[in-house]
Amino acid sequence: MIRFDDVSFGYNDKGGTVQHISFTLKKACITAIIGANGAGKSTVSKLMRGLIRPSSGRVFLEEQDMAGMKVSQLAARIGFLFQNPDRQICKNTVREELLFSLQFTVPDRDRQAACCEEVLAALCLNPDDDPMVLSRGERQRVAMATAMVHKPELLILDEPTTGLDYRECTEIMDYVRSLNRNGTTVAMVCHDMEIVQDYADEVLVMSAGRLIASGSTAAVFRNREILDAASLLPPQIVDLSLRLGEGYENISDVDGMAKAIAGKGAKA
Amino acid sequence: MRGVLDYVPGNTILHRLDPRTKLLISLMICIAAFISDSEIFLLGLLALNLLFAFIGGVTAQALRMLKGLSKACVFMFILQVLFIQQGEPYFSFIGIHITDYGVRTAYMVILRLLDATLPLSLMLTVTRLTDLSNALVVHWHLPYQYAFTVTTALHFIPVFFNDMQAITEAQIARGVSLDTRNPIKKIKLMIPMSVPLLVSSVKKTEQEAIAVELRGFNLRTRASTYKVPHMHAADAAALLLGAVLIAAAVLLNR
Repeated sequence: MIRFDDVSFGYNDKGGTVQHISFTLKKACITAIIGANGAGKSTVSKLMRGLIRPSSGRVFLEEQDMAGMKVSQLAARIGFLFQNPDRQICKNTVREELLFSLQFTVPDRDRQAACCEEVLAALCLNPDDDPMVLSRGERQRVAMATAMVHKPELLILDEPTTGLDYRECTEIMDYVRSLNRNGTTVAMVCHDMEIVQDYADEVLVMSAGRLIASGSTAAVFRNREILDAASLLPPQIVDLSLRLGEGYENISDVDGMAKAIAGKGAKA
Repeated sequence: MRGVLDYVPGNTILHRLDPRTKLLISLMICIAAFISDSEIFLLGLLALNLLFAFIGGVTAQALRMLKGLSKACVFMFILQVLFIQQGEPYFSFIGIHITDYGVRTAYMVILRLLDATLPLSLMLTVTRLTDLSNALVVHWHLPYQYAFTVTTALHFIPVFFNDMQAITEAQIARGVSLDTRNPIKKIKLMIPMSVPLLVSSVKKTEQEAIAVELRGFNLRTRASTYKVPHMHAADAAALLLGAVLIAAAVLLNR
């Protein structure tokens, strides 16, 4: 889907924010980009979207170099949800907000309205609401709708659950999972390892501007060396399973742990 | 990334000057730029500004400021050249005369714009806002509330600039064609962008107000400060230079 070929980027001449990054984002997967603050996760997500251009190296979208592509027109192919939804909201109603996004990519008004209705229903949004007075979680859903109204093949989420309560967080992430099941590739920058554990198939681990590991979520979270190098802690259930040792080390959810404990109890 | 108006730490002679001196000499250079009608003098002021930037170790900021102003300069030059019809025409097209007087006036306007903008922005890059505020309160007896308002407003310029950049990025990401090369289309699209900027500005201002209230802002009964700035010989020399520039601007006009 997206391929980084030895990409480096720096905000000034003094050094790179990200250095020599190479990876391929798997199609129809949810890939989480994890790492400590300042590791370069958000920079990688902006490079993926084309919002910033690499200082060296190249980024490919479906094997086409993104260097020559017009960034705003990429919205039809790549959706981007920022941490702060307020930066995207500028209209008086939710419907106007979505139509404003669509007017640049879909010329036909009937198609605009149809796309709009579909996303409004999927995200349970009232089209006549004023986005400015909605709750933080609802505004995040409006921002998500402005990205998804284009039906992009790739959705990039930059810390989508920051500032949301548990219910709002699971609503957003369940919607992301449903999109993924329908074929949308998802890349998300996330600090919450529990969410990464629950939703991500693949993980890219970053530390000090470098990609230090990549692989399946389960494998990466069971590698203490990688997590230590990236100053990360594994999700609690993985931590518990590793501490319990033999017979438990591959368990990564509460149901699995409950069954394993019940099984051991029965044997005893 | 540091903005063009952010303070750049250092210990150069410009950093060590009294904040009042820096403010006054900036204003004196602006006044000299507006008084003078000599392009040589205005070019000299521009060179002096760049020399100050070099001495203060803020050449990169000055050049970035010049780069930022270049678009406004081009726009103003075109407007002046097209609308000033006095003087000897160099050439004419569709009834518009490009005249020697129009070109010279446009050139002078641009030089004045650069000469007047650079000193104030350079002053901010070599002066801590708290030092400026202290100097205004202690020596010029400006009520602290006003000094705080002025310095807070200055402090917010790069914050709002960064916000605007982030908003532009967010809007481009959702498909708004802000990356178009058509300036009229771009200006039209910028209008809705002012809504998120306004919302974030009001929120930030409200948060700042609550934060200072919680720290007992209105409990202050007298102006007090830990550091009291003082004038030295270098300050006197700098002010003398400012006075000489104004005098030279007046004399060269005769």
